[in-house]
Amino acid sequence: MTKIFENIISTIKKEKLLSISNLLAMTVTFIVLGLFIEVIIYSQTALKMLEQQAQITVFFKDDVPEERIMELRAQFQGDGRILDVTYVSKEDAFEIFKEINKDEPVLLESISANILPASLEVKSKNLSSLDELAEEYQVIDGVEEVKYFEDVIERFRYWSSVIYVVGIVTLFTLFVISYSVIIVTLRTTINNKGIELEILKLVGATDRYVKKPLMYQGIFFGGLSALIASLFLILGSVFTRLLGVFGADPDIYLASLKMDSLVFSVLLSVVLLLSGILLGYLGSLTAVKKYLKY
Amino acid sequence: MSQIDFLNITKQYGSDTEVLKDVSFSVDNGEFVFLVGPSGAGKSTLIKVLIREEVPTSGDILFNGESVLQIPQTNISDLRRRIGVVFQDFKLLESKNIFDNVAVALDVVDSDPGVIRNVVPNVLAMVGLSNKMYNYPKQLSGGEKQRVAIARALAHEPDVLVADEPTGMIDPVASEEVVDILEKIHSLGTTVLMATHSQAIVDRLKKRVIRIQDGIVKSDKMGGKYND
Repeated sequence: MTKIFENIISTIKKEKLLSISNLLAMTVTFIVLGLFIEVIIYSQTALKMLEQQAQITVFFKDDVPEERIMELRAQFQGDGRILDVTYVSKEDAFEIFKEINKDEPVLLESISANILPASLEVKSKNLSSLDELAEEYQVIDGVEEVKYFEDVIERFRYWSSVIYVVGIVTLFTLFVISYSVIIVTLRTTINNKGIELEILKLVGATDRYVKKPLMYQGIFFGGLSALIASLFLILGSVFTRLLGVFGADPDIYLASLKMDSLVFSVLLSVVLLLSGILLGYLGSLTAVKKYLKY
Repeated sequence: MSQIDFLNITKQYGSDTEVLKDVSFSVDNGEFVFLVGPSGAGKSTLIKVLIREEVPTSGDILFNGESVLQIPQTNISDLRRRIGVVFQDFKLLESKNIFDNVAVALDVVDSDPGVIRNVVPNVLAMVGLSNKMYNYPKQLSGGEKQRVAIARALAHEPDVLVADEPTGMIDPVASEEVVDILEKIHSLGTTVLMATHSQAIVDRLKKRVIRIQDGIVKSDKMGGKYND
């Protein structure tokens, strides 16, 4: 193992500029990969959360009796498209209003429970059925207004998809660049060591003996750059948490994964490290096959 | 059974350059054979086909009865450990000291470090370089470099030692020393096959002399001389 590291250090010393370029290109790739995975996971879980919370609120006219509302509630609950229905009476609505406006006593004094409408909060199983349900509810006798926030969710879904596509394209490009840089670096190493490799073969070195250090070199660069990228992402996660960039509790974005954001960063680092090693291995394998002629 | 059999070896480069033409001869175990002939006669090519550095256009080479051409690519390293080779241009690793240059021959087959520590000083002693073990190639004379190359070739205790113009780049005194070492190795039972231009050496040793000229075996004489 010491010999392998000695070999790698010697190569880095001889090919400083190329080694640094290699490391930088791969580190940037893995940082982008990490950020991309984070954005995808966070946006998908946030989207799921939004979808789960998305609801239609059906407000009733003041003259609609509670029995009628309860009838409609039972009817909605029997609908296969609906996940849950909650009844919010005038009193419940007033309690909510009071809670929201607890710092404004003047406003609270001027309002009573009778002013606020009773409503049914309907959560659908599928976001796409919100539109259709809203249209159906709008025409029910006694319904004053139907509100829902489909636009916000649709816009969020749209931008998630954009990020996903742009991310995939960027990532693919960076992977190709990193892969090429590994191959170029190893080609230079192989060319520089041409005579040495030839001598090794002539004195009876096995293919494995000649190839091993070159393979380790690629794996080392892949692994090291993934490690640097991982540390960067973990530190990023710690700082965003300390600075409260995503609010008091960033874990809320990962709620559906049931995972702490720091644990998520560590798992992501493992994924990056494995990707780095794999990329390094594949790059080395290609370079050795293509350029190692003796 | 002979140790090495060159069977109808022809080697052609391109469509019109034929370096070897139907060359056949055998070398017995423990023999000392000189391959002589002018530059470009095909001596080095014969050595290259023996260690599978080159593949002949036709013909075959048997080493201890086994076809060298049938050896799988992955086992060529075994062949090269059984046939030690010394080159005219030494082929030493300039960045390594003398000990490491010899040790590399053992290291490439994952020899135990203890074995390397034992074998390397012994072979360096055999070629008279015990006192220069930690020098670098650039600190040695041509003759000394060639002795390091011989020590490296001996590290595996090969069955055959092949020397391709080993005195071609060194002065006459150093050449004598190198040849004395080869003769000593031969006297210990190793087969030696040496390609050379040196008439003085060939005439002094009176060994078997095979003359290659224009790609064919012109003569093959026991106890021969360079110009026979």
